[in-house]
Amino acid sequence: MSLRETELKGEPTCHTNSLSNYLWSDPPDEHKWADCVHCGLCLEACPTYEQTGQEQHSPRGRVHLIKSVAEGKLVVDDDFADPVFVCLDCRACTTACPADVDVGGLIEEARGQVRQAMPLKGWRGMTSKFLLEGLFPHQSRLHSLGSLLKFYQKSGVQKVVRKTGLINIMPKHLVEMEAIMPAIGTPVQKKYKEQKVIKAKGETKREVAMLTGCIMDVMFSDINQSTINVLTRNGNDVSIPKNQTCCGALHVHAGDRETGRKLAKQNIEAFNAAEKVITNAAGCGCMLKEYPELFREEPEWREKAEEFAQKVEDISKYLYDTGYEKPKVELKTRITYHDACHLAHGQGVREQPRDLLINIPGVEMVHMPNADRCCGSAGVYNITNPEMAGAVLESKMEHVPEDVEMISMGNPGCMLQMAVGVEKYGRNQKIVHTVQLLDLAYQKEDEKERGNNGEKEHAND
Amino acid sequence: MVKKSMQTIDKDIMNLAKIVGEKEILFKQADLLAYDCDGFTIHKHLPKAVVFPNSTKEVAEVVKYCNANQLPFLARGAGTGLSGGAIPLNGEVIISLVKMKRLLSVDLENRRAVVEPGFVNLKLTNSIADKGYYYAPDPSSQYACTIGGNVAENAGGAHCLKYGVTTNHILGLEVVMPSGEIIDISTNGVLDLPGYDLLGLLTGSEGTLGIVTKITVRILKNPEAKQTVLAYFDKVEDGSQAVSDIISSGIVPAALEMMDKIAIEGVESAAFPVGHPKDIEALLLIEVDGISVGITEQIKQILEVCKTRNVREVKVAQSEEERGRWWANRKTGFGAMGAISPDYLVQDGVIPRSRLPEVLARINKISEESGLRIANIFHAGDGNLHPLVLFDARQPGQTEKALAAGSECLRVCADVGGTITGEHGVGIEKREEMRFVFTEREIAAQTDIRDVFNPHNLLNAGKLFPSPGRCAEVKKEMKNGREAFA
Repeated sequence: MSLRETELKGEPTCHTNSLSNYLWSDPPDEHKWADCVHCGLCLEACPTYEQTGQEQHSPRGRVHLIKSVAEGKLVVDDDFADPVFVCLDCRACTTACPADVDVGGLIEEARGQVRQAMPLKGWRGMTSKFLLEGLFPHQSRLHSLGSLLKFYQKSGVQKVVRKTGLINIMPKHLVEMEAIMPAIGTPVQKKYKEQKVIKAKGETKREVAMLTGCIMDVMFSDINQSTINVLTRNGNDVSIPKNQTCCGALHVHAGDRETGRKLAKQNIEAFNAAEKVITNAAGCGCMLKEYPELFREEPEWREKAEEFAQKVEDISKYLYDTGYEKPKVELKTRITYHDACHLAHGQGVREQPRDLLINIPGVEMVHMPNADRCCGSAGVYNITNPEMAGAVLESKMEHVPEDVEMISMGNPGCMLQMAVGVEKYGRNQKIVHTVQLLDLAYQKEDEKERGNNGEKEHAND
Repeated sequence: MVKKSMQTIDKDIMNLAKIVGEKEILFKQADLLAYDCDGFTIHKHLPKAVVFPNSTKEVAEVVKYCNANQLPFLARGAGTGLSGGAIPLNGEVIISLVKMKRLLSVDLENRRAVVEPGFVNLKLTNSIADKGYYYAPDPSSQYACTIGGNVAENAGGAHCLKYGVTTNHILGLEVVMPSGEIIDISTNGVLDLPGYDLLGLLTGSEGTLGIVTKITVRILKNPEAKQTVLAYFDKVEDGSQAVSDIISSGIVPAALEMMDKIAIEGVESAAFPVGHPKDIEALLLIEVDGISVGITEQIKQILEVCKTRNVREVKVAQSEEERGRWWANRKTGFGAMGAISPDYLVQDGVIPRSRLPEVLARINKISEESGLRIANIFHAGDGNLHPLVLFDARQPGQTEKALAAGSECLRVCADVGGTITGEHGVGIEKREEMRFVFTEREIAAQTDIRDVFNPHNLLNAGKLFPSPGRCAEVKKEMKNGREAFA
């Protein structure tokens, strides 16, 4: 029997069945899709629609399918999982949508249903299980991995692997990632282990707590260091609560909302005493702010989550809002800025990081067309959906201006992905985090001052 | 993997996949569901398959195959249409043209561009803006809709008051006929060619006469200057009267838009609010453009008119950014209804401008009688009304009520000497209402023309003209609608 015959024998397609095919707890929220009137203004904002031209891979198509399962027209199976998991969860559609439909929220809820219906199998399942359950939530393991990577880079093993062709047995997209792996430093969690508070330089104006992040602190501990530097420089006492853990974004994106909730609870408690929670990773910040979404069925935690979410702020917005010292020394460079999806679309933070950057003397900002278009990193998307991630990256790289020296952004995932892009397409830009540039400018200023003082001292001799 | 599952699929899908490629066809139910309607969501039907041809030749081959095998088929662009023109009522093979999205050439000297049908409307303006040119037709969906779809629906937009609708900007078409034959009807820029005006006939034929695969459009030089005015009125009558006064004073604004109280509530609750007062009854968004010399004078005149008509507040946009915000607020008006209602149905009547206050009062009455809120967003300058009937499809009976209320609005438009569509097309939505403006003989004359092009009626059947409904559901809905109306 053909597909069509099967259909015709079933219920007429215009028929609405009230029996939902979401059989598990925490199903997609009806109120979220009720706002969608199917106007299609989201289509062109969607990177996967741009690549495929197919509407099941567009925001309104996905919303339509998610709704269709609730209406009993579709079941949660592989065919439904495909559109739901090909989504980058980049939220560009939410920005484009005239009715503010929370497509990202629906996608994450739908993924929760898919994962409960069909636990991941095969190598994808193993990788996902290893990364999401075995690694990210465990600080000590992450730090060990960091040390291992450091050993890999420093010992010469990296060179051997690259030279001998051992690298050829890795899947292509992982080779690309290996090539751009940043030099590994010491996690700030480890470094400041003994310090309850890192005191502000000069007078303390405010107190903040910092989320160090899992990947951030291992792969990009220097960015965490820069964040601490710019915070303390601007009168903030910084604490790093010990019991904090991975934010859970990667888990929630992958449909593992149960682990997401576990991590959320741990973080909410870890930051209980804090008045402000500062993040420097867009993905983490967005997740923390969306914790209430995870507790739709646990009112008590929902309340706590809402209170917590209010305290969360991206570093760039925090500095912009509370005022920061503008660097005085010139940093001669031409840069461009890439909007991390979970900063621009997820948190509405667009102007603040740009403001920090253009206020550094000598920094010339070149506009990147489509700056808020996803780069394809999307959490671990570039590992799970390498083909689509590659296509999205290619289209991103086409927009990176030729004549800039650096690309600045506010998310570690994007930094890795954009570094792959630079490497792959033979470009030569440096990838930097916004606070790194600011920190660099402060450091240069300090150096110059020390030099001046030195000269003065000499003059006094 | 694809291959294996395709072996269990019927032979038509196998054969179509051979024409367009295995990756360029959808046939699984989950995928097809994403194509069961367009921007008109009241009717839904699954297609047999969706194919994504990459060239005119592939389109022609698909069409020939459908003909040879008596498969109904239709063309689809971005699916933003508001009258259901791209809904596969008969389980059609959907020929999606979104992969044919190249800008083929731009000829600034002769002011034309050639695009493929899947090219997005706004992208054309964006591609030539740096050279000082733009493409005038600007439907509110221009961020997403395709020029191919614009041709099918003869799309208008906020600025068609001064610049005309799509048909005024089409210079040539390459068309795959319902038989699969490829024809080229280009004028090469000659405005009055001998013989019948086929371009005019094809443009706005709602995908019932052929499938457009290449389009030559007129592009315009950016106006030297542009100014935008926003005016708030406490009374709809005053706003309407101001519209008439502006036009009769001799000014032809590039755009002259109006929103009523409920529409304002919608846009202000949605993604692009600009802070309109919530207690006004109407706002006007007026734009004038042209050579810079006359603009200030025109603006002065417009401000005068508004004052005479008791405007509460009137202001001129002080920056491009402010102007942009006003327009984003207006252009996302339909979608914004999602923020205040689970469903909406947009109507598209045209009336003589001078009858505006009377028509609005009658629409108000329809709203009261049906118990459904009706917002009004319209291109007031050319009398193109968009009553938006707000309803909740989950409530039994509301969909039918909304359809009936929408139909009544169109009846009012026809009654005062207007018509039932200004730019959205007839599609499925307004088939029955065609009888408000055409006699049976007039309708028959038009279907006779269709039969010349589309003799077996395999291409987009059941659209544009009233005909016995094919889907029992649809028939029932239409019947209920008519009964409630009577």
